[in-house]
Amino acid sequence: MGVIAEQLSATFPLTYSEAIVAMGAAILGIAAGMLGALAVLQGRSLVGDALAHSALPGVAVAFIVTGAKDPASLLAGAILAGIVGAFMIVGIERTSRIRPDAAIGVVLSSFFALGIVLLTYISNTGGAQQAGLDTYLFGQAAGIVERDVEIMAVMAGGAALVVVAFFRIFKTVLFDRSFASSLGVPVKIVELATTALLVVAIVIGLRTVGAILMVAMLITPTVVARQFTNRLVWLLPVAALVGATVGITGALASSQAEVPTGPVIVLVGVSLAVLAILFAPGRGVAWRAATLARARRRENTSGVLVALETAMHHGAPPTPRELALASGRSARSVRRGLRDLSRAGLVQRDEGRVILNERGAAAAHAALESRRLWSAWLEHGWRLDLPDAREADPRDLRASLGDDAVDQLVVLEREATA
Amino acid sequence: MTPANDVLALEIDHLTVSYRDRPVLWDVDAHFPAGALSAIVGPNGSGKSTLLKAALGLVPADAGRVAILGGSSGSARSKVAYVPQRDAVDWDFPVTVREVVEMGRYRSVGWFRRVGRSQRAIVDDCLERVGMAPFAGRQIGQLSGGQRQRVFIARALAQQTELLVLDEPFAGVDARTEHAILGLLGELRDHGRSIVIVHHDLGTVRSTFDWVLVLNVRTVACGPIAETLTPENLRRAYGSDAVVAEEPEPAPWG
Repeated sequence: MGVIAEQLSATFPLTYSEAIVAMGAAILGIAAGMLGALAVLQGRSLVGDALAHSALPGVAVAFIVTGAKDPASLLAGAILAGIVGAFMIVGIERTSRIRPDAAIGVVLSSFFALGIVLLTYISNTGGAQQAGLDTYLFGQAAGIVERDVEIMAVMAGGAALVVVAFFRIFKTVLFDRSFASSLGVPVKIVELATTALLVVAIVIGLRTVGAILMVAMLITPTVVARQFTNRLVWLLPVAALVGATVGITGALASSQAEVPTGPVIVLVGVSLAVLAILFAPGRGVAWRAATLARARRRENTSGVLVALETAMHHGAPPTPRELALASGRSARSVRRGLRDLSRAGLVQRDEGRVILNERGAAAAHAALESRRLWSAWLEHGWRLDLPDAREADPRDLRASLGDDAVDQLVVLEREATA
Repeated sequence: MTPANDVLALEIDHLTVSYRDRPVLWDVDAHFPAGALSAIVGPNGSGKSTLLKAALGLVPADAGRVAILGGSSGSARSKVAYVPQRDAVDWDFPVTVREVVEMGRYRSVGWFRRVGRSQRAIVDDCLERVGMAPFAGRQIGQLSGGQRQRVFIARALAQQTELLVLDEPFAGVDARTEHAILGLLGELRDHGRSIVIVHHDLGTVRSTFDWVLVLNVRTVACGPIAETLTPENLRRAYGSDAVVAEEPEPAPWG
């Protein structure tokens, strides 16, 4: 570990102890990102929150029993308490009529309350050496030493190995529990294992991020990663990478600004998540809104085009106002549609009147034709032979069904009208 | 119907199942011949899905014996492909169509070995047969209900088992998909495979299936369609209000 830290501090503008902190934060980010994903995809994110809070009394009890701040024994206490918390959640869910969210809430608050009482007791009775256990509440990256990083690395490495080795089993159980069970997978044991891995991730991050905010470190990397990938094989490494980035940034920033690490890490992570939710290509809110707006505009333009064609068919070229009245559209929608149409070179203006030119007429006929095709599809579509599971899209029947199917459809329609 | 072999596809003997203190199935006896397309019908809450799950050992039974293709349910599990109800899974889960179908190969390939070229060819073939080959790379959430069901069927095909068990595969599925899947299942039956489906449309049961179990917590009747799907039996299962047309309905896609 020391060698890597020295390398890091030589390569980057970091002191040796900052390099250690960065390594610790990276490991915790990787573990929380990857293992948190298993819980988030199961829809059990809040179990992570409850387990993080449950770990707190474990740390306190371990300290009271051993009387020392040895990281290994404190972590062991945290693990034990986390496991007890997990069993209590499952036990309450199974035996009583309390719903899962309520069970999680009960365990979370009661363990946390116990933890606070114990921590207060310790700080009231102990001397100066005990001070510092409260970093387990909000987290502190600055105190990470080489030995911490070693323990974190061993635990994270072990957990990562388990996930990689049993990847297919995790994937199958997380996606389709009853199918996995029909293959003979011991589903309950696998679900216990994901909870155990979650406890490992929490324990790795507990001192740096703190019990209260640890849940954000478990969830946000998956939220970010899910915006960019549709496959679990990619989601896990991407979530780990996001976790590491968030961890390093947050830990270094917090030790520089002398603020607790947990809040800083959470703010960094949430900022990334908000950006990803808004702007990720494909799934991002902004992206989807833009796609929808474009589609609606296209529909409006095509509607105005058809209305104009109808109006020209019935008499003289209309004014935009007449067009709006005749087609039952708002003046604004007609104005916008006409603007797009004249940009596309399909209409001309003549003393306030709108005239469809030759290309415009062709475009209007194409639009009408595609409307007619859609009606024909609804009427005769069931008689068509489709080569595969493709499905008709009213916005573009030809692209969605293929030329062959559309040609068949035209023939069917002609037979029906003949 | 293909003549039943000596070995039954699925034999259920005195099966009793309850969820907590609520009985779901009482003393159900039923048998499904091999090489036949069989349906399980009955009103809501009559225990159709539970019967399948208990037969496959997915929910514990209070009493009773189940034999799958002559073997007990534990050892015979590898001979069954199970298609759960579609709403049992999270469709936003990050897997592609191809990956889901590949899950059907895991039992043969093993959980730890690579999925080799011959295995991938089987997956391709199954995707092709349900018409989902062009959608192999899609995330499953981008599919319609019918397409999702086709993916599930492809996964079951990929398991290459003697017996296929499907739970309400046509709920919320478009008519074209239902027709395509029924056609595919008929083909499988013609090649000697056995199929058991929980189904709710008595019209298609009458026109396409070979064998039926009418269930209402107990077995109302079990046997070939013509002798079993009688107004009398349906009244016993669904109550006297259920007036069921006796003449076979025309297949909508015929």
